[in-house]
Amino acid sequence: MNLRDAFGTLRSEDAARAPRFDRMWRLRTQRRGIPKLAFAAMLLVIVATIFVVRRPEPPRPSISAWKAPTDFLLATPGRELLEQTPELRGTYR
Amino acid sequence: MEIEREIEQLHAASFGWAMSCCGRNHQDAEEILQDVYVKILEGKARFDGRSSLKTWLFAVIRRTAAAQARRRMLHDLLTAKWARRELDPVSEPADSAAQHSEISAALIEALRKLAQRQREVLELVFYHDMTIEQAAAAMHVSLGSARVHYDRGKKQLLAKLNGKLTP
Repeated sequence: MNLRDAFGTLRSEDAARAPRFDRMWRLRTQRRGIPKLAFAAMLLVIVATIFVVRRPEPPRPSISAWKAPTDFLLATPGRELLEQTPELRGTYR
Repeated sequence: MEIEREIEQLHAASFGWAMSCCGRNHQDAEEILQDVYVKILEGKARFDGRSSLKTWLFAVIRRTAAAQARRRMLHDLLTAKWARRELDPVSEPADSAAQHSEISAALIEALRKLAQRQREVLELVFYHDMTIEQAAAAMHVSLGSARVHYDRGKKQLLAKLNGKLTP
């Protein structure tokens, strides 16, 4: 037997096992419809999840209201003494 | 529809080619051919008459099979299927030798050991009765390249068949 005959044998064996053409032609709409629907449903779930899970951002403080976090270091002990004029009591001669 | 009738006439050959393009897995071949028919019906694959219908159809089948293989590889990667395969080393339901005559089983086994391009060109020429030029068009390679694959593939195939077949 030569190569061409061997391939011919394989071809006829494959042909005997080939699915029917009309069955494959008919199945086309069923096979395409389901993945599209599944894809649409998945997309909907993702979008819904994003809307539900997403939390509102806290309001941003304005720049004029901003306070430095190290401001407390300026509040030194005895600061009130420096902020007022000392009162001199009594008379000096 | 004229093209539908012509595709129906080529159906058995198309199925055989789809089998070749997916490692002779019956289920995969059906899926590939189904996808090809859908592409044609939806106009995603259009026959422009630059080659014969058979050459064009075979090129579409080959591209679809390659796309399916890429999708499957990605899917396997994402679902870590390779890890499950190691735990459960049962092979895929590929075309088994029991379903074929002795000579066909030997031929399939020898073809599996060839490089992909060599296997493709030999199947297109011997199985599908194409010329090397038509095979080159279906494979999207140059004629010179197809000739080299054909010569080397044929020699290797005969060597792997250990004299069971003559050239």
